[in-house]
Amino acid sequence: MNALVVRKGPFSARLERRPLVVVAALVLAIAVLALLGLCYGPTWASPAKVFDALTGARGGSNVVIRDWRLPRVLAAVVFGVALGVAGAIFQGTTRNPMGSPDVIGLDAGAYTGALIAITVLSGTSAQLAFSSVLGGVLTAAVVYVLSLGGGVSGLRLVVIGIAVNATLTALNSWIVLRAELEVAMAAVGWNAGSLNGVDWDDLAIPFAIIAVLLVLLSVRSLDARQAALDPALAVTTGVRLEPLRVQLVLIGVGCTATVTAVAGPIAFIALAAPQIGRRLAGAPGIPLLPAALTGAVLLLGADLVAQLLLAPVALPVGVVSTAIGGCYLMWLLAKEVRRS
Amino acid sequence: MTRPRRGPGALVVGLLVALAVLAGVAVLSIGVGAHAVAPADVVRALLDFDGSSDHLVVRDIRVPRAVLALGAGAALAVAGVLVQVLSRNPLAEPGVLGVTAGAGFAITVGSAVGLASSSLGELLVAVLGAVAATLLVYSVGRGSPLRLVLTGVALSSVLAGVSLGMRLLMPNVFDVYRFWAVGSLAGREQSPNGLPLAVIAVAVVCALLLSRHLDVVALGESTAHGLGANVARVRLAALALITVLAGAATAIAGPILFVGLMVPHLARRLAGASVPWMVAFAAVLGPVLLLVSDIGARVLLPTGEVPVAVVTAFLGGPVLIWAVRRYGAAPL
Amino acid sequence: MPIARSPKIAGALALALAVVAGCGSGDAEQAPAAEAQTRVFTADNGDITIPVAPKRVVATGYAVPAMLEADAPLVGISTWQRGIPLMSDEDRKRYEELPKIAGETAAETNYEAVAQADPDLIVIGVPKPVLADIDLKRLEQIAPVVAIGPSVPSMWRELSRKQADAAGSLAAFDAVRDEYQAKAKKLAEKYAAVLPGLKLGHVGAYGEVAKGNFQREFNGSWGTNVVQDMGATYYGEVKVKGGGSKDVSEYPSIEELPAAFADAEVITYSVKPDGSVPPPVQYALDSPLWKELPAVKAGKVFPLRYTEAATYRSAMRTLDAADEALTPLLNR
Repeated sequence: MNALVVRKGPFSARLERRPLVVVAALVLAIAVLALLGLCYGPTWASPAKVFDALTGARGGSNVVIRDWRLPRVLAAVVFGVALGVAGAIFQGTTRNPMGSPDVIGLDAGAYTGALIAITVLSGTSAQLAFSSVLGGVLTAAVVYVLSLGGGVSGLRLVVIGIAVNATLTALNSWIVLRAELEVAMAAVGWNAGSLNGVDWDDLAIPFAIIAVLLVLLSVRSLDARQAALDPALAVTTGVRLEPLRVQLVLIGVGCTATVTAVAGPIAFIALAAPQIGRRLAGAPGIPLLPAALTGAVLLLGADLVAQLLLAPVALPVGVVSTAIGGCYLMWLLAKEVRRS
Repeated sequence: MTRPRRGPGALVVGLLVALAVLAGVAVLSIGVGAHAVAPADVVRALLDFDGSSDHLVVRDIRVPRAVLALGAGAALAVAGVLVQVLSRNPLAEPGVLGVTAGAGFAITVGSAVGLASSSLGELLVAVLGAVAATLLVYSVGRGSPLRLVLTGVALSSVLAGVSLGMRLLMPNVFDVYRFWAVGSLAGREQSPNGLPLAVIAVAVVCALLLSRHLDVVALGESTAHGLGANVARVRLAALALITVLAGAATAIAGPILFVGLMVPHLARRLAGASVPWMVAFAAVLGPVLLLVSDIGARVLLPTGEVPVAVVTAFLGGPVLIWAVRRYGAAPL
Repeated sequence: MPIARSPKIAGALALALAVVAGCGSGDAEQAPAAEAQTRVFTADNGDITIPVAPKRVVATGYAVPAMLEADAPLVGISTWQRGIPLMSDEDRKRYEELPKIAGETAAETNYEAVAQADPDLIVIGVPKPVLADIDLKRLEQIAPVVAIGPSVPSMWRELSRKQADAAGSLAAFDAVRDEYQAKAKKLAEKYAAVLPGLKLGHVGAYGEVAKGNFQREFNGSWGTNVVQDMGATYYGEVKVKGGGSKDVSEYPSIEELPAAFADAEVITYSVKPDGSVPPPVQYALDSPLWKELPAVKAGKVFPLRYTEAATYRSAMRTLDAADEALTPLLNR
C-alpha cells in the first residue's frame, strides 16, 4: 500500500517520502499491537477500559492493566527496539544479513555469564545483569578477534560465531548438569526467554541502560550511515572507521546483553528485524530506525502469539521466536541462493 | 587444495599406529566406569568370564557401549569424509548440517506415533529423517560452504523449537524427545543394536569401494568427465551412503555434533589427498575420538554423566574455528 | 496494594474492568464482618495474615490434590497431571471443571487468570527453589499468598495438613487422615511378623532419570514412605546429600546396581497406576546385573503402584496396592 502511494510521486520525492511513510506505518503497527497487548488477557478489556485505566487512578482494578500488562507491553517494545538496533549494527558492521548477535553466540555467552553468577556468586539480580553483560561482551570480543585476518565481513564471522556458540552451549549444559538441583532449576528457568511476569521493578535499570545506549547511538549514527554506505568515502570525509566500528559493536552488545539479562535469550528478533526493516524502507544499507521499529513489532507480535497459543498457560516468547526465526533464516538463505 | 600423495609404506604404518591407538583407547574405555573394577578383573572378564557382577559390568555393559562408540564414531567420521569430498566443503559435517538433528527429530516423531517401535522401524525412520534434512539443507544452502553450514544450523534450531513446542503441547507423548535431542551412549546396551551396527559395517565397506571413484570426482567435474567417471552416479551413491551412515549413527546414539568435522581434517593430514586412505583413517580415528569423548563423558561429573554429544561439541567448536581460519570460504 | 473487595469498591470495579470485578460483584452480599476475621499463618514465605474462613481459594502444584481432597472452596488450580491417576472420580471431575490458572511448571503461571478467579487466599504448593520462578509480589496484590511446598517427599503429611488448615478445611482433612492412619496401623499389625526385620530397597522412576542410570529410593522418598507406615525399613542412605528429594533418593549408574542392593532382602519397584513398568525401571529390570541380585534370586521383588501419592486419600490406595503386592511375604 505504502509503496503504491509512493510510486505515484515523483522519483526524487520517493526516496524521502518512503522511509517517512514506512516509519509512520511501523509506529502505527506498534501502537495497534501494544493496544492489543493491553486489551488481551483472560478477560478482554475494551480499548475504552484500557484508556480509563491508563489515565485513571493507581490501584484498584487498574492494577492489572497499569502494573501488569503495561510493563510487559513496554518491555516488548523497548527490548524489541534494542534487539532490532543491535541486529542492524552487527549486520551493518559485518555487511552480512546473517551476522546478528544471536546467531554468533552472544546469547550463549550471556547465559554462561548468568550461570556463573548463579552458581559461583550468590545470583542477585545485579550480579546476574552484570555478569551476563560481561559474558556477552567477552564472547563478542572473542568472535571478533578470531575472525580478524580475513576481515569481519562475510560468512566467516558467522561460522566462527556458530563454533563459539556450540562450545559455549556445551559448557553451559555441563555447568547446569554439575549444579545442585535448586540452582539448576533457577538456571533453566532463566534460559527460557520469557516476558511473563516482568514488572516495573525489573525494568527501571534496563530501560535506563538502553536509553543511554540509544542516545549514544543516535549521536554516532550519522557517521555510521556514512560508513555503511561507502567506507572509502567515509574515510575521506574524516570518519575514523575502526574506532567507530568498535563503539557501534559495543553499543550493540550492550543492547543484546541487557535484554538477555532481564528476559533471557530471545533469539532471532535481532536477525530478522533489520532485514525486514531494510526491505520495507527500500533503503540502501541497513537503516537503524526501521530496524528498531520492526524489532518492536516482531517482539510484540511474538509475545502475543506466545500468550495466545496455549492460553491460559503462558509460553516463553523465546520458544516462539526461535521456531519462527529459524524458518525465516532458512527462507533468507534460500532467497539468496535463487538470486545468485 | 592438493597435497602430495604419500607412499603406501608410510600410509600403512600410519594406519597401524592408528589401530594401535584405537585398541588402547578401547581397553581404557572398558576399564573406566562408575563402578571400579580392577584392571586384572577387566582382563579376566574378557578372557575367563565367571559370571560375577564385576565381570557382568565389563562384559554386558562396558563392552557393548564401546562397540556402539566404535560403530557410531566410524559412521559419523566416514560420513564426514564423504560430505566434505562430495561438497568440496571443508566445513561440512552431518551434525553441523542438521542431518543428525533431522534423524533425531524423525525418531522422536516416529516413536511418538508408534512407527519406530522395532529396531528396523527406528533405523528406517532415522534414515528417512536424514534424507529429508539433507535434501532440504542442500537445496537451500548449496553454492557456498559457509551458507551450507548456516542452513544446517538454522534447520537444527527450527527442529529444536518445534520439538520443544510439541513437548509442551503433549508432554506424555513427546517425553521421548529428551532422549533424542542430545546424543548419548549411556544406557543403550540393552537395545537391539545389531541391525544398525551391521548396516554401518556394510556402508563403511561400500564407502571404501566407492572412494576410488570419489578420488576422481574430487579432482573436479570436468576432469572427472574426461577420465570417464560417471559423476552423477558416484554422487548419488555417496549421498545415499552419507544419509544411511548418519541415520544409523543417530539411531544408535542420538544426534552427535562435530565428530564428522574433526576426524576428516585429521585424516586428511595423515592420508594426504587420497580419498580411499582418508576413508580408512576416518573409520579408525572416528571411533578413537568418540571413545575418548565418551570416557570424558563418564568422568567429567562427580556423579552421573554428561551426554557424549556435549563433550564432542565442546571439542569440536575450536576445530570448526580452526577450519574456517585455515580454509576460509574457499572450496577444497 | 491488595485489590480491595468491600462491597463499595466491588461496585466500582464492575464499572471499571471485568478482569476483577466480574467475580467480585458476586461477593458483594457477604458481610464485611466475616472478612474482618483474620489470623496469622506461618508459611514458607513468612507470617501471613489470612482470612479465618476463606471462601475463594486458588491452589497450585502439590496443593491441588490436597485441596481437592479436603473439599476446600477452590476457584482456580494449576494443572497437575501426575496426580490425575490417583484422584477419586469425584475429585477428578472437580479437577477437570475448575478453571486452570497455571501449567505444570511455576514459570507458566498466568497472573491475570489468578486475578480473574478473584480468590481471597492463594496456596502455592511448589518446592522452595521453584518459588523464585513465581512473582509473589504480584500474587500478593490479588490475595494473601501462603507458600507451603515440599522439600522431602515424605513431608506431604504435614504439608497437606497445613495447606488444608490455611484453606479452613481441617475437619474434612482430619477425617480422611484418621481413616488412613487406622488402615496403616491395621496393615502394620498384619505384617508385624515379617516386615520390620527385613532390609528393603526401592527402584523408582521419579524425576528425570538419565539414560544408563536408575533411581534408588531410601527411607522417606516417594516410593517408600507409605510402605514405611506398614513397618518397612529401606536401608542405607544417599552418598551425597543433594538437598530436598536428593537427601532420600539418588540416581547412580547402572554399574552400581549390584553394590546398591547387595544387602537388600526385598526389593520393591515403582510401576504406573495401570500396572505397566515405566521405562527407567524397565531398564534396571532388564539389566543382566539385576538377575544376579540376592533379592531377585530369592524371588522377593514386588511392584508398587501409586507411589506418587501425596495426600491421605490417595495414599490409602498406595496402602492397598502395597498390601496386595507384599502378600507373598506372609505366605511363608
